[in-house]
Amino acid sequence: MIAARHISKSFPGVLANQDVSFDVAPGEVHSLLGENGAGKSTLAAILTGLYQPDAGHVEIDGVRVSLKSPRHGLALGIGMVHQHFRLVSQFTVAENISLGDRKQNWILSTKKVEEAVREIGERYGLPVDPRARINELTVGEQQRVEIIKTLYRGAQVLLLDEPTSVLTPQEVTTLFDSVRTLASEGKSVIFISHKLGEVMDISDRVTVMRDGKVVGNTSVTDTSREALARMMVGRDVDLSAIRATKPTGTPLLEVRGLTAKSARSQVSDASIVVKAGEIVGIAGVSGNGQRALAEGIAGLTPPVGGHITICGIDVTGKGSVAARKAGLSYVPEDRNGTGLAPSLSISENMLLTEDLPFLVNHKSAVAKAEEAIGAYSIKTPGASTPTRMLSGGNVQKVLLARELGHDPQVLIVASPTWGLDVGAVEFVRSKLNELRNQGRAILLISEDLDEVRALSDRIYVIFEGKIVMECAGEGADVTTLGLAMAGASA
Amino acid sequence: MKFSLERRREVKPWHLIGVPLLSVIFGTLVGGLFLEATGHNAILVFKTMSQTSYTTLYGIGDTLTAATPLIFTALAALVAFRVNLYSIGAEGQLFVGGIFASGVGIAVGTSSSALAIPAVLIAGVLGGIVWMTLPALFRAWFGTSEIITTLMFNFVALFLMRYLIYGASTYWRDPTSTNFPQGKKLDQNAWLPRFGTQSVHWGLVLALVTTVGIWFLLRKTRFGYQMKVLGDAPNAARYSGVPVKRMTFTVLIISGGLAGLAGASEVAGRAHALDPNGLAIGLGYAGIIVATLARLNPFGAVIIAIGFGGLQNSASALQSLGTDSVPSAIATTLQGLILLLALAGELFVRYRLKISKKVEVSA
Ligand SMILES: Nc1ncnc2c1ncn2[C@@H]1O[C@H](COP(=O)(O)OP(=O)(O)O)[C@@H](O)[C@H]1O
Ligand SMILES: [Mg+2]
Repeated sequence: MIAARHISKSFPGVLANQDVSFDVAPGEVHSLLGENGAGKSTLAAILTGLYQPDAGHVEIDGVRVSLKSPRHGLALGIGMVHQHFRLVSQFTVAENISLGDRKQNWILSTKKVEEAVREIGERYGLPVDPRARINELTVGEQQRVEIIKTLYRGAQVLLLDEPTSVLTPQEVTTLFDSVRTLASEGKSVIFISHKLGEVMDISDRVTVMRDGKVVGNTSVTDTSREALARMMVGRDVDLSAIRATKPTGTPLLEVRGLTAKSARSQVSDASIVVKAGEIVGIAGVSGNGQRALAEGIAGLTPPVGGHITICGIDVTGKGSVAARKAGLSYVPEDRNGTGLAPSLSISENMLLTEDLPFLVNHKSAVAKAEEAIGAYSIKTPGASTPTRMLSGGNVQKVLLARELGHDPQVLIVASPTWGLDVGAVEFVRSKLNELRNQGRAILLISEDLDEVRALSDRIYVIFEGKIVMECAGEGADVTTLGLAMAGASA
Repeated sequence: MKFSLERRREVKPWHLIGVPLLSVIFGTLVGGLFLEATGHNAILVFKTMSQTSYTTLYGIGDTLTAATPLIFTALAALVAFRVNLYSIGAEGQLFVGGIFASGVGIAVGTSSSALAIPAVLIAGVLGGIVWMTLPALFRAWFGTSEIITTLMFNFVALFLMRYLIYGASTYWRDPTSTNFPQGKKLDQNAWLPRFGTQSVHWGLVLALVTTVGIWFLLRKTRFGYQMKVLGDAPNAARYSGVPVKRMTFTVLIISGGLAGLAGASEVAGRAHALDPNGLAIGLGYAGIIVATLARLNPFGAVIIAIGFGGLQNSASALQSLGTDSVPSAIATTLQGLILLLALAGELFVRYRLKISKKVEVSA
């Protein structure tokens, strides 16, 4: 139905796609699997007409086409749902779908559109109220709107770029049902992901990409998770669950009734305890107060209420420096921007959480950076490279090197492996486990439920700023956790 | 053919020096065309400009004198701009610095130079700080836009300064100036010494020392490091424990002090009195341009200030070219043109022009 033929595309300094070919049949769910930076989004952009390839071409039904723009692509039946939605939040669903629809008259009439939205929604299991405003919808519903939008314009091929990264497990299940319905009606779905489990679950065929090249193409029935992981990374990887092997000690982090606000994040009356030698996970869908919780504990935002004790020292409302002195380190989710100043060099960033004298000793900072570069095998031209020039995994290594260098008793990590490639994920996980074995207390805040389950000894679920559930990490049930994350009281 | 701008992946040192150089050359060429079009001899004009400003000893002296206040105001601008505080208040702070400096100068002028000169300079700094205090407080603790407040304070300062000389018989006005009111001359002890017969005065040395001081502050101290973090990523500053509000206030106050020093240096080095017409020639605003062209680098600011000073200085010489004289309006236009193109050229430091043939379309 749609095919890529020998497509190459380069950006200054990177070959994002290199001689990429693959075929998608009608009625097929075809996954593009690859680590971050493998070139999946670039390929998708070429298939939809957003980018032009440097070499090679796209074929639709065996005919060579040259796609000028996404509009042109859509006219030929190719629709895309981006990683980041492109909806006007003040407009209703129907209005958003009418946007850019050239069938519309000068005077907008959304009646027909509303009907179409209902019809498409029923047919493919994508229920959404056409009159609701986008900002009233959940992220999952917004994604449905994006899918409906492309279907309304007559898409026969649907590209979904990392669609599950914003969804709860339940929403993923519904999405997959819709994808199967679409395929059963003869539409083709290109599912882009780096999550092995989902790819195994939903696809008919898988094309694996690594460093811009296609490294494998197989039917899911002929492969396994392990085989796909090996293809994707280029070597064997082990991401199985790891838990504490020793009994836990005294509580090192105690949070009682914390209420705090930070930017658009809010946490209310949260109580959490993390003991020595324990990883405690905070599971929750993105935007449910995780940031306020982390910043509240780390002293970046003054708490409105509650008490925080780190290693027995009350640090409530005393600020981030006091929390640090008490033994806390915080690795924020926003690595380049909060955890690091992106335009500053690696060595300058090593000083960010130091207690600095009046005159800064840049020489010793360079030495420290070089030591970290060696110890953590950070890939960089040198210690003077700004951290914004580093890849995600290396950025996280710089941050971890600095924070673990303080030998913290309590560590808060937020989405520590988000956006990292499998190799770096493995590294981060083993570091966290190492710290746990050394008797440190770790609070792991993550939207990646698999990760929380794989590492945590205990799990709290956060929803709308409240801790709604607590359970042991061993044998934690996905469905129960998923329901709690979605706000269904157990 | 299709033109588009593409962000450079990497800005190389070559771009940082080459691009502004090319912009100035281009600006000169366009200026030359403009002169020819308006019936002037472009070669002669440029020759005169370079002579009056950059090649003769006298010319260089005048250029350096013109550059002195610009170095201070550029430092004032760049210190603030580095932390994304867009104060445009150097203009007004310079006036108030001048008012304070001349006031103290008149009062202590008869004491020895070793006492009078430092007193005048300190008074200038204090004047600048006083004028920045309210905008800085409001910006740091209430988030009020420093752009608006400092701009409004500029006007107040301008009228205050004019009032002190033209408005009434004040302490600052020379009682003997009957026809046209003038500022009271400071006693010679309070003057910044000159280099021989040149117009260049010790303000230049002070400006250079201050430049080194600011560089040291930015590059070597904890304060400078925290400024760098704050300027790059406010969230990282918060994370690291930088007291953001206090920092914002302090940086603005330093900026105000530097601008005030510009006023003191002009009063004690050039006019030797409070001289509203000589002070209100846009030195504060020009400092912003200098700082921007220097990409907020203190040493770069010195170099650009000297170039800029020469440009300013040559404009007046062009009017006395005899038969070929260039009216001041055209000289100013020429000046503006070169600056405008130099500023516009900055775009090409970050972006490059991409020329592509139209993509052929099939199907
Ligand atoms: N617009 C762009 N400009 C420069 N480099 C880009 C651009 N888009 C992607 N890249 C680079 O191309 C490579 C592939 O990126 P991408 O297609 O987004 O990968 P994926 O979607 O598989 O994570 C990466 O190295 C990325 O940095
Ligand atoms: Mg992508």
